[in-house]
Amino acid sequence: MRRRHTIALALAAGFALLLAACDTGGPSGDQPSAASVYRHAMDGAPRSLDPAQASNVYAKMLTVSLFDTLYRYKYLARPYQLTPNLAEAMPRVSADGLIYTIRLRPDARFIDDPAFPGGQGRAVTAQDFVYSMKRHFDPKTRSQGSWLWQDRIVGMAQWAERGADYDQEVPGLRALDEHTVQVQLVSPFPQFTHTLAQGFAAIVPREAVEKYGAEFAIRPVGSGPYRLQRFDSSGAVLARNQGFRQQPFSLADEGFDAATQGHLGLEVLEGLVPPLTDRIEVSFIAEDAARWNAFIAGEVDFIKAPVTQFDRILSSRQPAALTAELAEHYQLAANLESGFVHTDFNMDDPRIGRHTDPVQNARNAALRCAIVKAFDWDRRNEVFYYGIGQVFPGIIPPVAEEFDPSNGDEWIRRDLKAARKLLGDAGWHAGNLPELEYGFPSSVTERQMFEQFRSFMGEIGYPPEKIRPLTFATYGDYARAYLNREVMLITTGWTMDYPDAENTMQLFYGPNATPGSNSANYDNPEYDRLYRAAATMAPSPMRTSMYRSMNRLLLDDCATISGISRTLILLWDRNVTMLPDRSFVGGFYFPFVAAAEGEPRH
Amino acid sequence: MRSVASKLLNGVLLVLGVTFISFLLMVWFGPDQTYTLIGKNASPEQIEDVRRQLGYDQPFWQRYGEYLRELATLDLGASNASGESVRALLARTVPVSLLLMIPGFLLGNLLGIALGLTAARHRGRWGDRVVTVLSVTAMSISFLVVIIAFQVLLSTPYGLDLFPVRGWQVDGFVSYLQYVTVPTLALVFVTVGYNTRFYRALFVEEYGKDHIRTARAFGAPERLILWKHVLKNSMVPIVTRIMFSIPLVVISGSLLLESYFGIPGIGQATFEAITSGDQPVLKAVVGLTAVAFVLIQTATELLYRLLDPRVAR
Repeated sequence: MRRRHTIALALAAGFALLLAACDTGGPSGDQPSAASVYRHAMDGAPRSLDPAQASNVYAKMLTVSLFDTLYRYKYLARPYQLTPNLAEAMPRVSADGLIYTIRLRPDARFIDDPAFPGGQGRAVTAQDFVYSMKRHFDPKTRSQGSWLWQDRIVGMAQWAERGADYDQEVPGLRALDEHTVQVQLVSPFPQFTHTLAQGFAAIVPREAVEKYGAEFAIRPVGSGPYRLQRFDSSGAVLARNQGFRQQPFSLADEGFDAATQGHLGLEVLEGLVPPLTDRIEVSFIAEDAARWNAFIAGEVDFIKAPVTQFDRILSSRQPAALTAELAEHYQLAANLESGFVHTDFNMDDPRIGRHTDPVQNARNAALRCAIVKAFDWDRRNEVFYYGIGQVFPGIIPPVAEEFDPSNGDEWIRRDLKAARKLLGDAGWHAGNLPELEYGFPSSVTERQMFEQFRSFMGEIGYPPEKIRPLTFATYGDYARAYLNREVMLITTGWTMDYPDAENTMQLFYGPNATPGSNSANYDNPEYDRLYRAAATMAPSPMRTSMYRSMNRLLLDDCATISGISRTLILLWDRNVTMLPDRSFVGGFYFPFVAAAEGEPRH
Repeated sequence: MRSVASKLLNGVLLVLGVTFISFLLMVWFGPDQTYTLIGKNASPEQIEDVRRQLGYDQPFWQRYGEYLRELATLDLGASNASGESVRALLARTVPVSLLLMIPGFLLGNLLGIALGLTAARHRGRWGDRVVTVLSVTAMSISFLVVIIAFQVLLSTPYGLDLFPVRGWQVDGFVSYLQYVTVPTLALVFVTVGYNTRFYRALFVEEYGKDHIRTARAFGAPERLILWKHVLKNSMVPIVTRIMFSIPLVVISGSLLLESYFGIPGIGQATFEAITSGDQPVLKAVVGLTAVAFVLIQTATELLYRLLDPRVAR
């Protein structure tokens, strides 16, 4: 009997130890119950919170809340507009567009952390910005954001080649004094200020990076409105940074438009000091059903609604509106994505792309154009995007100011007759059509899209057995294949980094061919010439016209089947006052979210 | 003692075999993490830099030797994706998975034994048929469907709305019960069918043996036959099944539960490591699972001796 008691006791002790080991410090454990909490669901998860690796929308949402960037996008202004964040004002730019001088606010401090002497956070200085930028060019950082400034800053490439010694100066990146930085560019780069509003451009303290090494990715130390309390594969918890600078919220400064945003109740926020919510609990819920159930059960305040639910939640598509029952509890925003989905032809593949023989080259062009004309964007939109995506010709998506709404729709309107004629005139028939290899990372949806593509092509006489899927277990494997030019048709998407069409035009710029971002390996001297000429130009009607010409060239060459911008349906609880955004504002809106006080339901 | 030592020696060979084959698969067929770690517009030099940092440029045998050294010294490195030390990652996630899986695992087995005994005792009669039909039904429903159904029924306004849909905000026993109940019920629902079928077959065989008929001929009460003769004599296969399920339950069995219930356990971490090709995490999980198998095999050997003295001879 005694032995049994001992075993029972040992088991109980083991169980208690396990419980203690996984104490997550839940809401009841470490904060007053009256604290306001905003519970945000993401449909994916970041793996790293190091700004240098903030390469996806999920990582950016969190990093810009934990760290400071010099600039950000105004919370409410549409089209999107830059505004100073840690900078005192917009940059002073020299007449030749090469020198940017920026003054930092003097009242920003890093959070308290053992990385600092005495554990006390210190002021953010110009040197921190210089250090943070240099980090991107240190191979040890494994930066995923260095491409933004590659060959842009005077002396940076040489600094990296000399061994990336942080004590060595970079001539084009200097701290003029404690709070002033100056950046000298190699050539004018009008998008430079936009790059300073990316998660990649967040400012990190050298002490913390050196203390935590690789673990800095999970132990972020910044000066943003929040500090990290917990981060794992299921979610992250951010708590208000008590030392965050005092900057009262102003509707006018944030670009409030009463006509389109008056129904959101944002007026009550005027004059309040962000961050407006004590705690943000972010859940990473990739599974649509689980995300929807969590939202309906009131466990999260915000979700990007799964497309599978659109049927039951929307009472109308254009404009998107909630059913009356849901509208009682929830708000809706139909957010056109800042990017697009497209399928590129690998122009380096002589079976479908460029060919040294001019006759075959012309036949390949006819084949590509026939495929483009046979693609049914309406059905693609209806089946996969509930018919609320926006189809447009080319690569300047509707969210960009350079978008041309009057652009003809001949490249997105299905025309089977024209497609068949193109094939026939070029001498293509079922017997001699090349085998098409359509690449995609393995998933049910991607497979369904492939099958739909195959059925579209079947309608112009392309034998189904000649269109075969090229699947890859992971996106990384897929990327390796197309970056090594092994995929014939590349299905992909692009999320714009900043609201300037330059960001999408570079996708087809010849020198950016793989392993660069020009995955189609498109190479058109006229397109490249226009790109180079426009690259140093500030936004203007002339530049817009050049971009539109480039778009036209790309369409005429039939280098891509493009494209569609998806409409994201964002839902949130009426108890939370906010305007969510998955686009350029991203996580910059977290400090302005006003959530009700009290305990979550469970 | 000699037998235990021999098991351990075999175990070392097993670990070498498992680690070698799994490492071979990781290197030849696993995802190449380079392309998820490079930025846009990476140059060939930058790609080569990342490959070098990941150790992909090293010869296979050197990498495998390094793997064995890491396992032997428990210096498991850091995740390539998050930078977190693998030891810290295991210390953070394994207790969560254990707490998540233990109740369902125990209940699933206990219920399986009880139902198996009932079915075996009433073999061919209504009790047996009912248990068999229920078991087959439970086995036939996809785990995913079960999870979603339990979530809807127990955790949303469409059903009883009694428990959280997901999450793991555990800071005491009460919150633990809140978060573990629905996953446990889902797990029990799915596993009890398989367990019942296995245990039923086991007990039916035991019931048919001569010593049971002899006991009955002696007029031994049914309860005594059940506990002392059927159950006790079936302990060796029961222990074998339970013990050898433990590593799989901890590592792979919890993946769906962790994913759908948003629980930050080792199953989720392993899945992410597999899909992203995060070799430091994967190597540690595979290697330590092999070690766990060896230790369990040895512990099982000792338990056999306690349960069946004939094994000791």
